[in-house]
Amino acid sequence: MKLSLGPLLYYWSREDTLAFYEQAAKWPLDIVYLGETVCSRRHLLRLPDYLELAEKLSAAGKEVVLSSQTLIESESDLKALRKLITDGRFKVEANEWGAVRLLAEARLTFVAGPTLNAYNPDTLAMLAEMGATRWVPPVEMPREMIKDMLAALQPLPNSATWIETELFGYGRLPLAFSARCFTARHYNLQKDDCQFRCLDHPDGLVLTSREGEDFLAINGIQTQSAKVMSLAHRFDEFAAAGIDVLRLSPQARNMHRVVEIFRALAVGDIKPAQAPAQLDRFMPAAPCDGYWLGEAGMAFHPVNTPVTEGEPA
Amino acid sequence: MTLPTLHLPTLPRVLSRLTVTIPAWPFTPPTSRAFAFAANLAAWPSLRELDWSHVHGRHFCVQVSDIGLQFFFTLHAEGFRAERRSRADVTFTATSADFARLALRLEDPDTLFFNRKLLIEGDTDLGLTVKNMLDAVELETAAAKMPVGLGHLVLALRRLALKD
Amino acid sequence: MSNPALLELICPAGSLPALKTAVDNGADGVYLGLKDNTNARNFSGLNFDEKSLVEGIRYAQGKRRKVLMALNTYPQPATLSRWHKAVDTAASLGVDAIILADPGLMDYARKTHPQLRLHLSVQGSATSYEAVNFYRERFGIQRAVLPRVLSLAQVENVIDNTEVEIELFGFGGLCVMVEGRCLLSSYACGDSPNTFGACSPGHAVRWEQTPKGMETRLNGVLIDRYANNEKAGYPTLCKGRFEVQGETYYALEEPTSLNSMDMLPEMARLGIAAIKIEGRQRSPAYVAQVTQVWRAAIDAVKKNRETFKTQPAWQAALAKVSEGSMNTLGAYYRPWK
Repeated sequence: MKLSLGPLLYYWSREDTLAFYEQAAKWPLDIVYLGETVCSRRHLLRLPDYLELAEKLSAAGKEVVLSSQTLIESESDLKALRKLITDGRFKVEANEWGAVRLLAEARLTFVAGPTLNAYNPDTLAMLAEMGATRWVPPVEMPREMIKDMLAALQPLPNSATWIETELFGYGRLPLAFSARCFTARHYNLQKDDCQFRCLDHPDGLVLTSREGEDFLAINGIQTQSAKVMSLAHRFDEFAAAGIDVLRLSPQARNMHRVVEIFRALAVGDIKPAQAPAQLDRFMPAAPCDGYWLGEAGMAFHPVNTPVTEGEPA
Repeated sequence: MTLPTLHLPTLPRVLSRLTVTIPAWPFTPPTSRAFAFAANLAAWPSLRELDWSHVHGRHFCVQVSDIGLQFFFTLHAEGFRAERRSRADVTFTATSADFARLALRLEDPDTLFFNRKLLIEGDTDLGLTVKNMLDAVELETAAAKMPVGLGHLVLALRRLALKD
Repeated sequence: MSNPALLELICPAGSLPALKTAVDNGADGVYLGLKDNTNARNFSGLNFDEKSLVEGIRYAQGKRRKVLMALNTYPQPATLSRWHKAVDTAASLGVDAIILADPGLMDYARKTHPQLRLHLSVQGSATSYEAVNFYRERFGIQRAVLPRVLSLAQVENVIDNTEVEIELFGFGGLCVMVEGRCLLSSYACGDSPNTFGACSPGHAVRWEQTPKGMETRLNGVLIDRYANNEKAGYPTLCKGRFEVQGETYYALEEPTSLNSMDMLPEMARLGIAAIKIEGRQRSPAYVAQVTQVWRAAIDAVKKNRETFKTQPAWQAALAKVSEGSMNTLGAYYRPWK
């Protein structure tokens, strides 16, 4: 099981972002995704900065993938996308079908991101044929459907088109994208004059129901879950489901702790049932795992706690 | 172009007078009995062709807010059946005028809902199922299957309201 | 080939009476779906079975109107054949086009029924000409419905760079999120438009009149509570009232409907092929009211773009049937963003 660090979904200061990746170079990760996938107004790091980071992380032994923007609205968005693709030094994660078209045209292999909506084996096989070497299922896809997808994909005519499966395994779930910026709206600002208020909310801005229940998190034009999807306690279910890579989505604090716990799971130093207790204090919010089980995404089913490991509470 | 204003100026009063007289019927519970009887007479002939099997035995309540009447009934293969006022899986609440406008296809239920003139409480899916199934019945077809005179009256009322 | 399509009026049909109503009131085409999760208005009791579909096609095509069939959800491995069968049904019954979101399904349609006209659904989330042209090159799509996230200037940029006809939403319920990229519903209740074909499906919704007001819940989560004089909206999460940093408000969007009528002259200038009216979940009464108004408006703008003016009576009629009784120009008008 490989571990990846997903693209940073939030907007942090330049210093914080650079420091984060400087640290990440030392973390026990296999793959690091870089790039702005949420908002084209976020500009503290530009492509040359990401490329420089990519070189450093690559030198530190990480596989680096550059993630493309999910919502393309303008010609300048397309320009940025073309630049990302033509650089060619690093693999690209395509997050909409325009990027797939450009990558296939350039005959480049790529990662098929979660918002391409590959919900069936036909679409997945097509992506593989066009050059996808890895896919990230839609974050709502249940375990059983992933199994079905991969089972149906077996008889691919060309075994060279084998594709890795990367699961969104930890972090606030990216649930929706809009043209509208909800952070700007919260501050009564227009998107074009948002004053980059996302900078004040390094893990998003929590939205609660009128009964005080933490429900969603606003992150600019993106809406996330308030709860943190965490499948640490289900780590032993991944192999049977055909998962090759587990994606950990960046959070502002203690990310290294999170990575270490998942690495410990991967090498068998801790058992899945022990993981939630260890993760708990490093998480910005309560966990959820409903999507994996084919339920409401916000649901959570802790696995039975182990009999005892002889550790006092 | 002028659009029909879709007012039903006189119908509600006529209708409420009609419904208020119903409790005099010698059945128990009289209002629900009368409702089921009228529904079987007027509506069932055009509804029986639809597949209602998945709502069989479910308990409905229609609550007419302005005149304080409640009708409790279930739906079976043979039509509407009045029920005791015990429980309802789903309750529709509106005024007599708005129910009449819905029945004559003059008003859209969602519009009434947005304007807080229609409330569906309980099993929402059951409520939506019934709403959508009723929408799928053509008024002309339904009118043709009503007892002689009633169908004509219904269509005439609708035309009148649309012209107004 | 005849002239390219211009401002065709495409109206919703959730039932046979709605279809006939749309046709009788001047729709150039109707769009509809089957009674299952192959389309994105999968509500109980709504939509067409084969019998009503045959009758609907006969009725519409008999009056030279088009029937477009939405198969715009994402097929899933265990039930893939349901979508294939639906495409076969559409082809054999002779609909004028099918509206698809999933590339795998487009591939099937293209290979199995090469003569069948394909439209890209709004659920396909294509917001750039690069994406639209992907579907064009690969599957020969002839029309694309753009998500309700682009400004008109951005729409123009798409049009300038593709030969695919562009259809825009004109009126009706407004998705605040990019269609096809919204999982809010499944996060709360397990079912999303992509796979289940509905957002906030009835089985997860509860309305209740309480002493505090009418409450709307989705799988137990309180979405909104309306005071007695407040207009209500659909029980969708994007139109709910929530608390953010101590402030309770419509954090994503108010209950409101899209109404782009004021932009009709500009849409005509851009050569928009068709205007889509949302609302397959609504009754024939709504279809009649909205189709009449839009027919009149489109006729007026086609007659003279320069002198076109939205009539107050049209706007009043549309406001009346709108969610929350409010209208917005949405993303077409940049400051909305």
